[in-house]
Amino acid sequence: MKSNAVFFLGLFGALLISWACIVLGSNAQLGSQAPFYDDNQGTAFPQWMPGAAARGELVYRDLGCAACHTQRVRRPGLGYDQARGWGERQSVARDYLYQPWPQLGLSRAGPDLANLADRKPTAPDRDDLLHMLYAGSDDMPAYRFLFEERRVGRSAQRSDEAMQLTGALEPRRGREVVPTARARDLVAYLLSLKSDYDYPESVPYVAPGGEGAAEPPRNTGGAK
Amino acid sequence: MSAGPQRDPRLDQAAAADESLMDAHEGLLGRHPDDGARYRLLPIGILFTLSALVLFSGTYLNRYAGHYSASIYNENARPTAGQAAPRIDPLALGKIQFQAVCVTCHQPTGAGVPGIYPPLAGSEWVKGPASRAIRIVVYGLKGDIHVEGHDFNAAAMPVFGQVGGTMYNWNDDRIAAVLTFVRHEWGNNADPVTPEQVAAVRKAVGDRKEMTELELEQVQ
Amino acid sequence: MKPEVTPVDRSSRAPLVLLLLCGLSWLVAGGLLGLVASIQLHSPGFLGGCEFLTYGRMSALAETAFVYGWLANAGLALALWILGRLAGEPLRAQNWALFGALFWNLGVAAALVGVAAGDATGFALLGLPRYVHMILLFSYSAIAVAGLLAWSGRLRLVAYASQWYAAAALFLFPWILSVAHVMLFSAPVRGVVQSIAAGWYAQCAWTLWLAPLALSVAYYVVPRVTGRVLPSYEFASLGFWCLIFIGGLTGGRHLLGGPVPAWIPSVAVVSCALLLFHVSIVLLNLRGSFRGGGIALRFISFGLLSYAAGALADAATSFQAVAAHTEFTYFDEALRQLALYGAASTILFGGIYFAVPRITGRAWLSAGLVRAHLFLTLAGILVLFGSLAAAALAQGRGLADPAVPFADIFRHTRPWLVAATAAQAALLLGNIALALNFAGTAFGFVCAPEAAAFNPPSAMEAPPP
Repeated sequence: MKSNAVFFLGLFGALLISWACIVLGSNAQLGSQAPFYDDNQGTAFPQWMPGAAARGELVYRDLGCAACHTQRVRRPGLGYDQARGWGERQSVARDYLYQPWPQLGLSRAGPDLANLADRKPTAPDRDDLLHMLYAGSDDMPAYRFLFEERRVGRSAQRSDEAMQLTGALEPRRGREVVPTARARDLVAYLLSLKSDYDYPESVPYVAPGGEGAAEPPRNTGGAK
Repeated sequence: MSAGPQRDPRLDQAAAADESLMDAHEGLLGRHPDDGARYRLLPIGILFTLSALVLFSGTYLNRYAGHYSASIYNENARPTAGQAAPRIDPLALGKIQFQAVCVTCHQPTGAGVPGIYPPLAGSEWVKGPASRAIRIVVYGLKGDIHVEGHDFNAAAMPVFGQVGGTMYNWNDDRIAAVLTFVRHEWGNNADPVTPEQVAAVRKAVGDRKEMTELELEQVQ
Repeated sequence: MKPEVTPVDRSSRAPLVLLLLCGLSWLVAGGLLGLVASIQLHSPGFLGGCEFLTYGRMSALAETAFVYGWLANAGLALALWILGRLAGEPLRAQNWALFGALFWNLGVAAALVGVAAGDATGFALLGLPRYVHMILLFSYSAIAVAGLLAWSGRLRLVAYASQWYAAAALFLFPWILSVAHVMLFSAPVRGVVQSIAAGWYAQCAWTLWLAPLALSVAYYVVPRVTGRVLPSYEFASLGFWCLIFIGGLTGGRHLLGGPVPAWIPSVAVVSCALLLFHVSIVLLNLRGSFRGGGIALRFISFGLLSYAAGALADAATSFQAVAAHTEFTYFDEALRQLALYGAASTILFGGIYFAVPRITGRAWLSAGLVRAHLFLTLAGILVLFGSLAAAALAQGRGLADPAVPFADIFRHTRPWLVAATAAQAALLLGNIALALNFAGTAFGFVCAPEAAAFNPPSAMEAPPP
């Protein structure tokens, strides 16, 4: 390398090319993507996250849940995602449109969560999730710090918020376990995770001359 | 000379100095490999490897990059010339539309509610000329209507087409699909309706208020 | 011939020793954090009660300490040393380097506190909380100034391969970090474009920053120890530019089958294949290291083999048919360890063993600690990679069968994860040995060993006709 200017220009140019192609290129394609308006339902998808769910996404991020859980379903035919009931179609860019910090994840030590609230055959409900967070399991740590154990009043009646715990998890008499605001927000976020609208780009690709027409979108159900 | 065996793990001896390193390598850059008119296999090997990788890259991108389109997520999708949307089965789409909206009044069996909502199964309006059926769905229906000998006057049929100031605003594909469905279901073996027919009707008629039975009977 | 310990070494002792000291401290700290994270993988209840040590944060802590603490400091130290020696003049702007090193390490410490408190960003290789980015950027640039001045002020016009790689790493990292900061934090892009930009950052950080730092060391140490001219050196620049141009294009590598348009992962697949050309040139040039001869070459040859194996595995697992099984399993983690530990760290270890006697003017304190470190590192990396790969196999098999619940998958992978923890413990022990050895050598805690007896270096063997 003889000339300094050419050398550094070459380095800079190489970085510029890869940045322009990959990052700017995808931003040009996806950055101004709009929600998809459904004529029949008279509303656009995806829909905004409710406030508690948006706060819950921050809790998800700060606890680093993406270290073990992904939130991206692969297409039918590529892997086992559909067989495990994690989603009927693949996740597309529009699913993450209104998520401020999409947590796609890179590792599946635990199941995929993209459609947690819509999982077939049964989706977990709020109590299931709170219990899972409190108790943990063989392969998932217990997040006790998201809960507060406190004394119950003299009348010894537990509050509505208190968790129903049995066996080894049950608190001592006169005490109850209550989820903190972080736990409630996190569960609200988890319960908002569903992508049940079939965008045109999410329809599975059928090779031409194959089995016939693609399945039509199953956009039933009113606005959430 | 090259280094002797390195005896002491606490000190790695260098066999050559920095100057010598720079000197020896400086001359190599830009040296033509065939100095002395002797062919060496290595540059050809390197050239071959690089060309093979570039060829592979080009071919792979040509086939698997989905035409660099923002809406192709499956790399196996062949670049399709001209095909815009995936083919949708009108019967299936129409069924979904019917079950989403129409079933409330006309019932899943297509029998309607006696005295209030006319039946679709066996109805002459459904099986008759497509242009009549199209007008009913697009512009709605108000007033008296006789279906299979019975009189229905209680409820008006809503406006489903893209008429100003109305709620549904279904596009031609959906109207055609739902009509194809009802004309096919419950034994009504009438011809399907195409979006082009719906478009033609809308173009001919324009914007208007609900149809009446009298006006419909004049349509062929 | 000039003496082995040159005035360049003597004058730049302070910043280099500071960088190496900080780097080795972070290596031990990062190793401890990595060990805890590894334990938490197979025993989730370990330290789970404390919010700051939950696994999600612990894995980000371990990665941040390892990459931005150990790899950055050691890589920068060796890059400055090599650029200084090959420039032929004492390093200029040394105070910049000194203060840059100080603030870089303060920034990393702040980053770790932030991650433990929950400000991790969730992006791979960019776990640093947003508020430390500026301090890291400026301190890195301060260190880079010293190095780039050594490049531009070099006495010889034609630069050697080590200088290209080191200068590239010094020049490119601030750009990569600042672009990532703007696109992900200052004016965040929308939706999945964040994941694409973060993937671009992670791949650039590896191919355009960490790999060049390691390769600069390899290109310097191998010919100096073997005394032979690098074979096929005339193609070295081709290999260099191949890495620089193709490296960033691998950005979509971890988004295969993901919610991004198909061309992004396809471009990544193709780029991973093209990078094999760069790896083949590097191996072609540096094959003299496999003949062995000293501790440094043993480390470096292992590192080069890991580099090649990692690049090959990266390319192989980027194809759809293979990725369907290996994606999201521990195999990604195994490849990451192979690259960051097996390739970059071992090459830097080799560089440290070669450089420290010349920087300090003393031989290493203890031969036993050197041998222990060598054995523990090589064995540890092999066991780590092997056990993570075996865990991935078990995990992949379990995941593919929808009837297998996650609890069963965990039971099958647990023994392998325990083996991986044992490997991490071995690596930590080896690194403690190195850190103690370095502290003793650099600061002469024990009675100073005899002045290093450097053999007088001679001329390099002429290239074969």
